[in-house]
Amino acid sequence: MLGLSLFVTSLVFGFLTARHFIEMDAIVRERFEGRLFRVPSKVLSAPTILYPGLDWKQIDLRGALRRLGYREAASAQGLALGRYHWSDRRVTVHRRPFEHPSRAEPARVIAMRMAGPIIEEMRDAQTGREIGAVFLEPELVGSYYGPTHEQRELARLDSVPAHLVEAVIAVEDQRFMTHPGIDWRRIGGALIANLKAGGITQGGSTLTQQLAKNFFLTPDRKLWRKVQEATMAVIMEARYDKELILEAYLNEIYLGQRGGTAIHGVGEGARLYFGKNVRDLALHESALIAALIQSPNWLSPHRQPDRAQTRRDLVLKLMREQGRISEGAYQRAVAQRLRVATVTPEPREARYFLDALQRQLPDFYDGGTLATEGLQIYSTLDLRMQRLATRTLVEELERLEKAHESLAAKGSEVLQGCIIALRPQTGEVLALAGGRSYSRSQYDRCSQARRPAGSVFKPFVYLTAIQNGTLTLGDWLDDSPLEVPVPGGKWTPRNFDRKFHGRVPARTALEKSYNVAAARLGQQVGIDRVAKMAHSLGIESTLPRVPSLAIGAADLAPIELARAYATIANGGIRPRIRTFEDVVDPAGGTVERQPITFDRVIDGGSAYLVTSMLEGVVNQGTAASLRRQGLAGPIAGKTGTSNDYKDAWFVGFTPELVVVVWVGFDTPRNLGLASSRVALPVWARFMKEVTGGRIRGRFLRPPEVVELEIHPESGALALAGCPERRSELYLRGTEPAATCPEWSSRPRNPEGGGRRGWLERLFDDILGPEAP
Amino acid sequence: MSRNGVAFVLIAGLFVSSCVAPARLSPAGEALRVSAFADRGDAQRRASTRMVVGGLEASDLGHQIEAVASFERALQVDPSNPLAYLALARHETFEGDPRRALAFLDKAEATFGRSAEGMGALPHLHGLRGAALSALGRPAESEPHLAEARRSARVWADGQLDAAELR
Repeated sequence: MLGLSLFVTSLVFGFLTARHFIEMDAIVRERFEGRLFRVPSKVLSAPTILYPGLDWKQIDLRGALRRLGYREAASAQGLALGRYHWSDRRVTVHRRPFEHPSRAEPARVIAMRMAGPIIEEMRDAQTGREIGAVFLEPELVGSYYGPTHEQRELARLDSVPAHLVEAVIAVEDQRFMTHPGIDWRRIGGALIANLKAGGITQGGSTLTQQLAKNFFLTPDRKLWRKVQEATMAVIMEARYDKELILEAYLNEIYLGQRGGTAIHGVGEGARLYFGKNVRDLALHESALIAALIQSPNWLSPHRQPDRAQTRRDLVLKLMREQGRISEGAYQRAVAQRLRVATVTPEPREARYFLDALQRQLPDFYDGGTLATEGLQIYSTLDLRMQRLATRTLVEELERLEKAHESLAAKGSEVLQGCIIALRPQTGEVLALAGGRSYSRSQYDRCSQARRPAGSVFKPFVYLTAIQNGTLTLGDWLDDSPLEVPVPGGKWTPRNFDRKFHGRVPARTALEKSYNVAAARLGQQVGIDRVAKMAHSLGIESTLPRVPSLAIGAADLAPIELARAYATIANGGIRPRIRTFEDVVDPAGGTVERQPITFDRVIDGGSAYLVTSMLEGVVNQGTAASLRRQGLAGPIAGKTGTSNDYKDAWFVGFTPELVVVVWVGFDTPRNLGLASSRVALPVWARFMKEVTGGRIRGRFLRPPEVVELEIHPESGALALAGCPERRSELYLRGTEPAATCPEWSSRPRNPEGGGRRGWLERLFDDILGPEAP
Repeated sequence: MSRNGVAFVLIAGLFVSSCVAPARLSPAGEALRVSAFADRGDAQRRASTRMVVGGLEASDLGHQIEAVASFERALQVDPSNPLAYLALARHETFEGDPRRALAFLDKAEATFGRSAEGMGALPHLHGLRGAALSALGRPAESEPHLAEARRSARVWADGQLDAAELR
C-alpha cells in the first residue's frame, strides 16, 4: 500500500515537475527566440559643425561639450578621450569617435586658437594639419519610450571589452563559465552566511539566475519564485551557450537613472557614466560599471563617489585575486581617480518636435515600432535653436499675460503660441515649439492647429498679381469702399483702422496691410488663381473660394505658412519640409532617408519682388518696430491679425531662416491687440537670440529683375528733367512704357511693349533722335 | 559722321577694350573648379566650400553617400553656397536621379545669380543640364546645352564631368 502511495506520489510529482519544466521552457524559448530586448528609438540632433571664423559663444560651444558629456581638464597635455581644455586663447578637445550614417568619424584631438569669441584657427593636434571644419557628435534630442521608461544601447559581446566581462564575472558570478545555471557552492556559502546573520544578507544567484529573474519574474524572494528562477536558469543553460546568456545579461542589467529614465545594459551604462561607447572603456571604468550592478543608486558615482570608488576597488581586487588581471594592471587601475561624465538629462524641450517627426515618418513606424526597434533617427533639429524657441515662447507668453489684461488666463485657458523655424533652402525644421508646456498639452499648435491666417495670406495675392502681369511694384491700388456680391448678400471689407485710403501705391498697400486694396486685387486676379498660387507655394489645407480669401479667410497650420514663405524666401523654389535625414537600424543600416528635395513653382523674379515688398513691411510698415528692437540686416515679413483679434501672427524671414510665430487661445478669444504687439515681439526676441542681432547674407536679386528710376506718382520711367523720382524694381518686360517728362517726338518701340534697349537709349542720348 | 559710322566706331571700341581689359571670364577653355574658391568669402562660405571640396574628394574615391552628406552639411553651414548645389547637381546627374539634378541646377543658377559667368560656372550649368536632360531621354533639349558646354570649356569635351574635374 505504501509502495503504491509512493509510486502514485512520485508519478504525480514527476508529472507536475515535467509540466513545470515544459511551461518554463516555453517561456524561455519564446523570449530567447523572439525579440530579446525592446529598445526605444533615439532621435539625435543635427551635428554641431566647428570651423574657423565661427563665433563659439553664439553656438554655446562650452555648453554643447558639457551636454555631450565632455569633461574639462586642467591641461591640454596628454588630453584623454572625451575631455577638453579651455583657456583664453586656446581650446583643445579630444573628440570621441562616433558613427554617422554617412561615415564614421574617428577620434581626433582638435586644437583651436581663439580670438575673443571667434575660432581663429583649427588644427589636428596629432598631425599639426589645419582643419577646415569638424563635427561634434549629434546630441540626444529624445527617445520614443514604451510604457517602461527604459533606455538601453545594445552591445554585442564581441564589442564589449574583455576586462568588462572579466570584471562582471569576478564580482557577480566567478564560476559562471563552468556551472550549469545554478552554483551549489555559492548557494551553500550564502546559506551559511545568512544563518550566521540571522536573515537574508547574501544571495546565491548566478548571472543566469539573475537574468531569469529580470527577464521573467518579479523581484520578491519567495521560495516558489526561487524555484522558478532556478528552473529557468537550468533551461537557459541547457538550451543556449554561455556567450548568448552573457550577452543578454550585459544588455539587461539595470545600471542607474538618467533623470526619469532607467538605464539598462553596459552600452547605455558606458554612455551614462563615461559618455563613451562601451568598446572604449578602460579597465578602471569597466570595474566601476561592474561594481554598480549590485545597487546602482546606492553606489551612484555621481552622488556617492566614495562608496562607488570603494566598490570599484573591490572589483579590481577580486579580478587580481582570481587571476583575471595582472598585479601591474591592478595597480594602474586602482590608482585612477574616479571620474565620471556629467549626467545630461534627456532634453524635454523638443517633445513637440519628436511628435512632429513621428508624424512625418512612414506609417510603418508607429508608436510600438519606435518604442522597441532601437532605431537611431538623425534629425534636422538645431538643439540650441530649439532651446531658444522653447524658452522664448514660455517667457514671452508670460510677459504678455502680465502686461495685458486681455491676455490673462481665464480658468484653465491660458495664452498659447507656437514658434517654428525652417531653413528655406533645404526645408530643414530647425526648431519647433508647439506650445508652452508639453506636459500640460501635447497638442502641437505648429503642425496640428489650423487657425485663420489673416493678413499673412496677403502676400500670396500680390504674388499672383505680379506673376500674371496684373501688377508691377510701381502701380497704385484702389483702397476705396468695395462691395462684392456673395451668396446671400454683399461682402464689404474694411481696413484695420476703419478708414479708406483711396489711391495708394502697391507697396504701401501691403506695407500697411490694407484689406480693401488686397481684396480688390484678389477680385482682379481671381480667387481661384490666388488659391492655386497658395497651394503651389506649399499650402495644403483646403482653401475656400470666397472673396475674403484674399485677406486671409482660411484656416492654416503655421508649418504650412512656414513652407509657403520658405518658397518665397528661396526664390520661388519650394522645399520639402524635413524633420529627419536618416533612420538607421541597430545594425547600422540606413532604412529611411529624406534627402533635400525641392521644385521650382514660381519664377525667381516674382518671388524677389514680393520679398522686396515684405522688406518694406519690416522697414516702414506694420512690422517697423522690429528695427527699433535692434535687428539689422535683410529681413522680410508680414504681420497678421485674424478677425476679432483672435489670432496674432508674424511670419518673417531672412536669407537663411524662416520663422513663424502664432499666438492665441486654443478656444479662440479676443486678444484685444494687434499682432505687432503680440506675435512680433516674440519673433524679434527669438531672432535676436538666434542670430545675436547679426543677420547674414542678402536676398539675391535674379537677373530678370531690373531696377529703374520712376516718377512716383505716375509710375512712368524717370528721364532727365523728371521733377520727382524713386527707384523701383521690375520684372524684365514689365518696365513702364510711359516716361517722365513724356517723350512724344515719336512712337517708341511699338512692338516691344514700349521698352527700349539700353544701346538704343544710349545712341539717342548721344546723337539725339534720328531724323525721319 | 553718319549715325551708322558712329555706331561702328563705338562697337569697334568696345571690342578692342574687351580684348585689352582684364577678363571677367575664366581663361578660354577653362571652367570653374571648386577648390579655387576654398579661401574666398566669409568664414561660413569658406568652411562650406571646403566641405564641398571634401565631398568631391569622397565622390572621386567612390564614396557617394559620404559625398552627398558633405554637400548637405556644406549647406547646413552656408545655405546660399552655389558650389554645394552645383556639386549636388553633378552627383545627381551622373550618380543619382537626373530629375533631381535639374532642381539642383535651378537652385545653383539662382544662387550664382550674376556671378555665374565671372566664376566660370556657365559651362558646368550648361553641361550638367544637357547631361541630365540627355539621361532623361530628351536629346533635343539636351544638345544645345551640351554644345554650349563643349564650346566653352575643354573639360566638357567628353560630355562628362568627373568629381575630380569639378574639384
